[in-house]
Amino acid sequence: MTTDQLLVTLLLALPIGGFALTALVGRRLYQRAWIIAVGAIVATWLIAMYLVYNTLFLNAYGAQGLHFTLYEWIPAGDFRIEANFAVDNLTAALLIVVCTVGMLVHVYSIGYMAHDPGRWRFFAYLNLFMFSMLLLVLADNFLLLFAAWELVGLSSYLLIGFWYGRRSAALAAKKAFLVNRVGDVGFALGIMAIWTTVGTLNFPEVFERIPLLAESGVIQPWQMTGLALLLFLGAVGKSAQFPLHVWLPDAMEGPTPVSALIHAATMVNAGVYMVARANPLFVQSPSAMWLIAGVGIFTAILAASIAFTQRDIKRVLAYSTLSQLGYMFAALGVGAFTAAIFHLMTHGFFKGLLFLGSGSVIHGVHDEQDMNRMGGLWRKMPITHITMLIGAIAIAGIPPLAGFFSKDEILGQAWKNGFVWVWAIGIVVALMTAFYMFRLMGKTFYGPSNVDPAVEPRVHESPRSMTVPLLLLAIPSAVLGVALGFPIGAGLIEQWMEPVFEGANEVLGRGQAEPFQVLGLDGFLAGASVAVAVLGVLAAMRLFGFRVPLLGLQAKPRPAVVERLTDRLRPLYTGSFHKWFFDDLNDLIFVRAGGLVARGLWWFDVHIIDGAVNGVAGLTQRSGRGLRHIQTGRVQNYALGIALSLIVVAVGYFVAGGR
Amino acid sequence: MTELPILTLVTFSPLIGALLIAFIPRHNVQLVRWAALATALVSFALSLALLPAFDARQAGFQYVEQLDWIPAFGIQYKLGIDGISLVLVVLTTTLSWISILASFGPIKDRVKEFMISFLILEVGMIGVFTALDLFLFYIFFEVVLVPMYLIIGIWGGANRIYATIKFVLYTLAGSLLMLVAILATAFAFQAGHGGDWAGAFDYEQLRQFGFDITLQLFAFGAFFLAFAIKVPMFPFHTWLPDAHVEAPTAGSVILAGVLLKLGGYGFIRFAVGMFPDAAQSYAPWIIGLSLIAIIYGAIVALVQPDMKKLIAYSSVSHMGFVTLGIFIFQQQGMEGAILQMVNHGIITGALFLCVGVLYERTHDRTIAKMGGLAARTPVYAAIFGFFMLASIGLPGLAGFVGEFLVFVGTFAVSPVAAFSATIVMTVGAAYLMWMYQRLIFGEVSDFLKGLGHHLTDMTPTELVTLTPLVALTVIFGLFPGLVLELIHVPVDGILLQFRDATAGVAP
Repeated sequence: MTTDQLLVTLLLALPIGGFALTALVGRRLYQRAWIIAVGAIVATWLIAMYLVYNTLFLNAYGAQGLHFTLYEWIPAGDFRIEANFAVDNLTAALLIVVCTVGMLVHVYSIGYMAHDPGRWRFFAYLNLFMFSMLLLVLADNFLLLFAAWELVGLSSYLLIGFWYGRRSAALAAKKAFLVNRVGDVGFALGIMAIWTTVGTLNFPEVFERIPLLAESGVIQPWQMTGLALLLFLGAVGKSAQFPLHVWLPDAMEGPTPVSALIHAATMVNAGVYMVARANPLFVQSPSAMWLIAGVGIFTAILAASIAFTQRDIKRVLAYSTLSQLGYMFAALGVGAFTAAIFHLMTHGFFKGLLFLGSGSVIHGVHDEQDMNRMGGLWRKMPITHITMLIGAIAIAGIPPLAGFFSKDEILGQAWKNGFVWVWAIGIVVALMTAFYMFRLMGKTFYGPSNVDPAVEPRVHESPRSMTVPLLLLAIPSAVLGVALGFPIGAGLIEQWMEPVFEGANEVLGRGQAEPFQVLGLDGFLAGASVAVAVLGVLAAMRLFGFRVPLLGLQAKPRPAVVERLTDRLRPLYTGSFHKWFFDDLNDLIFVRAGGLVARGLWWFDVHIIDGAVNGVAGLTQRSGRGLRHIQTGRVQNYALGIALSLIVVAVGYFVAGGR
Repeated sequence: MTELPILTLVTFSPLIGALLIAFIPRHNVQLVRWAALATALVSFALSLALLPAFDARQAGFQYVEQLDWIPAFGIQYKLGIDGISLVLVVLTTTLSWISILASFGPIKDRVKEFMISFLILEVGMIGVFTALDLFLFYIFFEVVLVPMYLIIGIWGGANRIYATIKFVLYTLAGSLLMLVAILATAFAFQAGHGGDWAGAFDYEQLRQFGFDITLQLFAFGAFFLAFAIKVPMFPFHTWLPDAHVEAPTAGSVILAGVLLKLGGYGFIRFAVGMFPDAAQSYAPWIIGLSLIAIIYGAIVALVQPDMKKLIAYSSVSHMGFVTLGIFIFQQQGMEGAILQMVNHGIITGALFLCVGVLYERTHDRTIAKMGGLAARTPVYAAIFGFFMLASIGLPGLAGFVGEFLVFVGTFAVSPVAAFSATIVMTVGAAYLMWMYQRLIFGEVSDFLKGLGHHLTDMTPTELVTLTPLVALTVIFGLFPGLVLELIHVPVDGILLQFRDATAGVAP
């Protein structure tokens, strides 16, 4: 084992070791329960950054990346699955987000969970999650990826249900796991289909053989589409796309650092990562790609429309996450793989920041999540305010912050690749995004204070262990777009992802990207993005208030106008507020109708199947009892029986033998 | 025979212990318990001693012992194991000592009789897996019934008589038909060898004989009934929920952990091994029934109010994978089926132990009465959660690999069947998570509050029973090769023979 292989192994061993140790002795560390877990993740981060540097900047492992096998996991005849890992450019890009946000969330949690008696459990679970997520990006075959896929689901289950005493948390945890499982059925079937058709599950070999098999007709186009859609179903579950999006908003029952790490910055990206990883397979099926784009952009607008009216600050962010993930899938669907990964990275940072910021707000106003009971917090929580503002500008897509570059890349590529409808919907979503984010900012920070008077005097800025991660996340949220995406179409991200998506671009017939033309189509598209973003921000500022402390700019909210608008759009408002009734529909179909079916089958089991068994037994018993009467012990009766039998036999003989 | 008859020792060591225990005065309860545990541990150690000298790459049976028993009919005392029997023997000896230890607390009446019954039960179970003579196999297969009848009937719950009579009569009905089939094959063999009875009950010779299709169809049908009831397959499963609910904890552990596997083992070894053509003709029907069992069992489990009934129906579902994997006649499928038997034994056995732990404190198994255990018994909550996840098939734990191998094997033969089977990934997770949520999460229920300080966390003894199973679940999840390497050669042999035999038959 070389040093670098050992380091990759350590990347997995440290967090799982941290999990095991914290689970065993964390309880006895009392206030310091975090010490092992945070230590393990800091070390993990250092190793990861070393590997990222080697991969992306030194190109130390060549174009294919570092591949190695730890041991043979499942030796079952021809079905041989190894525990093998890879670090290539795509993995490295994910490592940056996963490890950095992961580490900052760990640090943030020291303060956020300081007063929770179960904090040792929390840190153990967080480490378990980091292990699973790292396994997910390092896995070099489909089954190991699937294993990691399930394990992140488990960590998510444990962390959503962390406050187990709350019924709502327990229900949300279960719902997340089960809805994900629906997607996993598809993923598992897809994996079986790959093994049956390709004969291996190792990424390099599968991706090498798939184009050949498709070309030679061994895999028919319909099979290829089926294969791609089965895998995509898994991605739909994990990345909470329509119609499996219902679990993510409920997942906000978990502690806020969890929402930031798992349900915004890392785990929910797994679906995007998987489709990007399997790009040689997906590009073989144009229909599957079309559907991915459709599902993505539909989720984007559906979720944005719900985010409009939610009152819970974390739910707004959750729907926003759905919407941004929708963008990423739209990007994948239109063949803009690099843009999808770019957006995954920038979104990971600014959404992680926004969630941690919302956690800081919730902490500051003493566990209140309803934005109608916030307001005017900018003065009392300056660091939280400024950092969240940076996050909000970033997600709204206003240059030069990070979100602009990646989002513009997606929309521009959609247009250029002939998906003008995706662009059109996407631009509407951009407008909505800017609006609901500044609605959130206005209600939370600028408008008049609606904080509970009892709590008001005690509202405070969060401790340093929380504000420092916010500040550290604000940096990439501000500059990552420029750093990776400038000059547009030829930035670092393009260079990094070029070897990963080379084959796919070839299949899709994409040549070298042309330089950005300010006065051409590029300029128009970028201008449109900026224009709608500014429009959205201004509209929200006008309605919900705004204030730029340094410049002395400020605007008062106009609740009366909001009220009037709401009234006029009542049906839309109701639909949006009730999340377009998906939860109610699911409840009706799966919980109620499913329960009826199950009860019906149980009745069938007890009364029909077991009834038949007991019936046979009863019949035997009764016939035994009945036959007992024949056995009377009287010779006359027996003689009669013999005589009757003889007659029957004789008649039978003559009838049958008469011919 | 110059060598040490180690298989005989493994098989009958519990009987020796049982005989010794018979001489211990009944009031000396502690001594009886420890003697029984020591006996079971000795058998366990002996079964482990089989491993080092076992050659996993060698085809055929090893450690074979052969003696004439009733020469007039060619009946022999013949024992031998291949990889498949070996893993099941070790599973049996493992679960046996754990069950005996788990009975220390719950069994307070007639301890001596219980322990003796239990050890005799162990003899029967090991014997089924080691016997290579059909007559001997049949005897062991039936021997199992008697102690189990007593264990449920004497130490069981309120409705124990109904449950135990149902269990015995139902299984007996199946196995009597099997006896007729065994005799029929023996007669056919003897007729085919010019009236010579030698080898007429010898598994290895019968396997080579090649019965004509009519006899195969009849004999397979009879064997099928015996094993299908034992597994139990839909629609022969209704004795299982009743038996589980009434059985004491140790009884449930062995019932789920080993007795159900007698059926699966019988299918692989005898029904398929001896009647490949008939197996081929019946396979579509059996696959259909397996799929029904997988989905139906899971759906019915969804609405069970009683913890044990829920796990019983989940066993119907999980054992459906075993029969599916066997009758799909494909390498991964069959290896997965055997692995699934081992893993189901460990995991479901552990789940019944978990139910037993709670029952000891509450004397109730109604899910609706529980709640909030995480706050009161955190260690219990963690261990129960661990096995819940293992049963759901979480990768990294034992349940996953077997299930997935069955899926993969099924997909390779029939994607449609695989599609139907994978549905259970959601339903199967749903019923266990539903139960777990109701038991462990939420606020402490009034019923549990009423128990006050009786509701304690796990005792050291309980931890000793469950910790080895936790370890095995992790080890077999990460290194399934430990089992797969052992069963690989015999599975190849069975499939090869099956293909040779059915090469001429149109599918």
